[in-house]
Amino acid sequence: MVDSSKVPISGSASGEAAASPAGERVWKAGGLEPMPIRPLPEAPPSIHILGPTVFLVALGVGMGESYMWPRLVLVFGPDIRWLFLIGVTLQAIVMLEMARYAMATGESIFTGAARIFKPLMWFFFAVAILVYIWPGHVSAGAAALEEITGIPWVVAACVGLVLVGVIFSLAKVVYNLLENLLSIMIGLLVLGTAVVASMVGNWSDVTSTLSGMFAFGYFPQEAMSSTWFPIVVGSIAFAGPSGMQQMWYTLHLRDSGAAMGSHIPKIRGLRHAGNEEQMPSRGYMFDTSDPEEMRKWKGWRRWVTFDALLLFWGVTMLVTISFTVLARAADRNSPDVKALIEAGEREAALSAMSDTFSSVGGPVLGTVFLGFIALIGMNATLGLFDSFSRGQADMTYFFVPGAKKLKMSHLYAGFLWGLILFGIGILLFGPADGPSQILDVLAFLSAFSMGAYCVVLLLVNNRLLPKPIRPKLWTNLVIGFGALFYLGMLFYSLIRFGVVLD
Amino acid sequence: MGAPGTQRFRRLGELAFPGFAVGTLAGVVAGGLTALAGQPAGWAMVSAVALALPLGLVGGLYSLLMTAGKVRPGTFAPAALLWLVGFPLARLFQEAAARYAILGEPGVPADVLGFLAFQAIVSAGFAIGFLWMHERIAPQWLAKVATRNPDAALAYDRYAAHSRLLYSAKQARREAKAKARANRR
Repeated sequence: MVDSSKVPISGSASGEAAASPAGERVWKAGGLEPMPIRPLPEAPPSIHILGPTVFLVALGVGMGESYMWPRLVLVFGPDIRWLFLIGVTLQAIVMLEMARYAMATGESIFTGAARIFKPLMWFFFAVAILVYIWPGHVSAGAAALEEITGIPWVVAACVGLVLVGVIFSLAKVVYNLLENLLSIMIGLLVLGTAVVASMVGNWSDVTSTLSGMFAFGYFPQEAMSSTWFPIVVGSIAFAGPSGMQQMWYTLHLRDSGAAMGSHIPKIRGLRHAGNEEQMPSRGYMFDTSDPEEMRKWKGWRRWVTFDALLLFWGVTMLVTISFTVLARAADRNSPDVKALIEAGEREAALSAMSDTFSSVGGPVLGTVFLGFIALIGMNATLGLFDSFSRGQADMTYFFVPGAKKLKMSHLYAGFLWGLILFGIGILLFGPADGPSQILDVLAFLSAFSMGAYCVVLLLVNNRLLPKPIRPKLWTNLVIGFGALFYLGMLFYSLIRFGVVLD
Repeated sequence: MGAPGTQRFRRLGELAFPGFAVGTLAGVVAGGLTALAGQPAGWAMVSAVALALPLGLVGGLYSLLMTAGKVRPGTFAPAALLWLVGFPLARLFQEAAARYAILGEPGVPADVLGFLAFQAIVSAGFAIGFLWMHERIAPQWLAKVATRNPDAALAYDRYAAHSRLLYSAKQARREAKAKARANRR
């Protein structure tokens, strides 16, 4: 292993490694090609420019926030929400640490993992395929749409999938299109849930929801059962983006041109693939011994911290608060909701909530509620299809021999259309969430990858980055806690109850 | 070119547009869904307009304050303060208008203070959504009207610094690529 603990300096980036054969200054990190030193661009002058968190919010505000947490609140009361606070805060810190590597190098965390130990990266490649090819999100959104419009969900889901493929293929730059599209949909979701919560909720719904977030230590006895414990732990793990979604965020940061990502070309839609610039075979590093460069780096860290805290943490928190208020209002007006939720009837509980809103505020509220569920399904589908294709294309391009003959756009389109065709096949002929026999395995893999990426983060940030930009001790402790938490709870649940996270 | 008064009014309207659009959209979406849900068209219309109009006006006010430099773009506190007052009032107006449309007599919710206090709490959520959408729309819109509206150009300048940086990085890449091509020849 190359010593990568020193600051890149003129002519000798890693201390022991001198200049590259071309006389270029480089930074050696792990076992792969060294990174040339390039200037760090100036950070945005003020923090109001929104970043790629929109993708994480789109992926994160899914069924977990709209269904799993309201369900726990209905069953155990609002005091259980302190666990949500812990879960989503942990994820915000993970997100900041993912950003550290991606912004310093312009590489994805997958390449970082490969620099440490290549099989690690192939593990993530395989998990992504096993877990994310099932079109569960699109079918949940389409089912809500069917309730509103009567369009059969299979038809809506298949048309939706093809539409996603066509839009992404025609896009000039996929990232820009998707960022705009998702931000409008998430904006509508946030505005809409706030308006609806203001119509159906009341003072006590909000105050109990908020005060429950600070009821640290509350853990009712029933939650320690084999029925509920895995659900509680799964809900904490999936507070915000779950599974591999945080890893994909590094690719979005790169494509948004954040920090050293500005040196990497963007992925184009299939129609514009010919315009794509040649993708470099590795990322870049900046001169961390230069105070001016370090000043810019601090500016970028401020920018991403704002992105993580206000936008990711704030928006995710807000949507769940709104949905919890909605669930409590539904519970007050129709006790059936709780019974249905306890019976584990997800679809029935959602439509019962919708019916309750209809009875309180006229058919509009029930419809609006289902509209939000459809919107959430659509957001998640768009975000997931893009992220999956982006991640797999990235790993294939850099690590499959001969793949560099193709453009990144071609690989991206290949994975995207592969996913769409497989999805349509499954929607027509198979179970949307995946075969029930292996559901547990998929849930296990998804949660396992979260523990695994915490370990990868610790290794990558502390071994591959120059000392001045490595994480502080407290950050390492939090990420270490994350690894212990995700893996510990997963195996505890498996050993104690014989079931994995939901 | 219209009279100076008309022109000034148009320029103000252009500056207020992003916030007005976001506020109105929030109200209209609810109204559109009402129609879809099969409520009588008249009620749906009253409910939507009575919410969309005040939300649009308060949103427009935010845009004007921002372009006048009274509020720093994208910062949460000023938007939250504005909606802390604006959102409860908009909802009160909607409730009163809906009562008038349905019952034929004016009126407000029974516990007006409690109603306003609850709406004020929810307004924080609305403010985040509003800001999120506003920051997406405003820079693009201001750039579009900047050629004919000097105030918009000024406001856009605050947004543009980052875009300029990205643009210059792109230009530098393009130039380097062209140079490399020329060298190959």
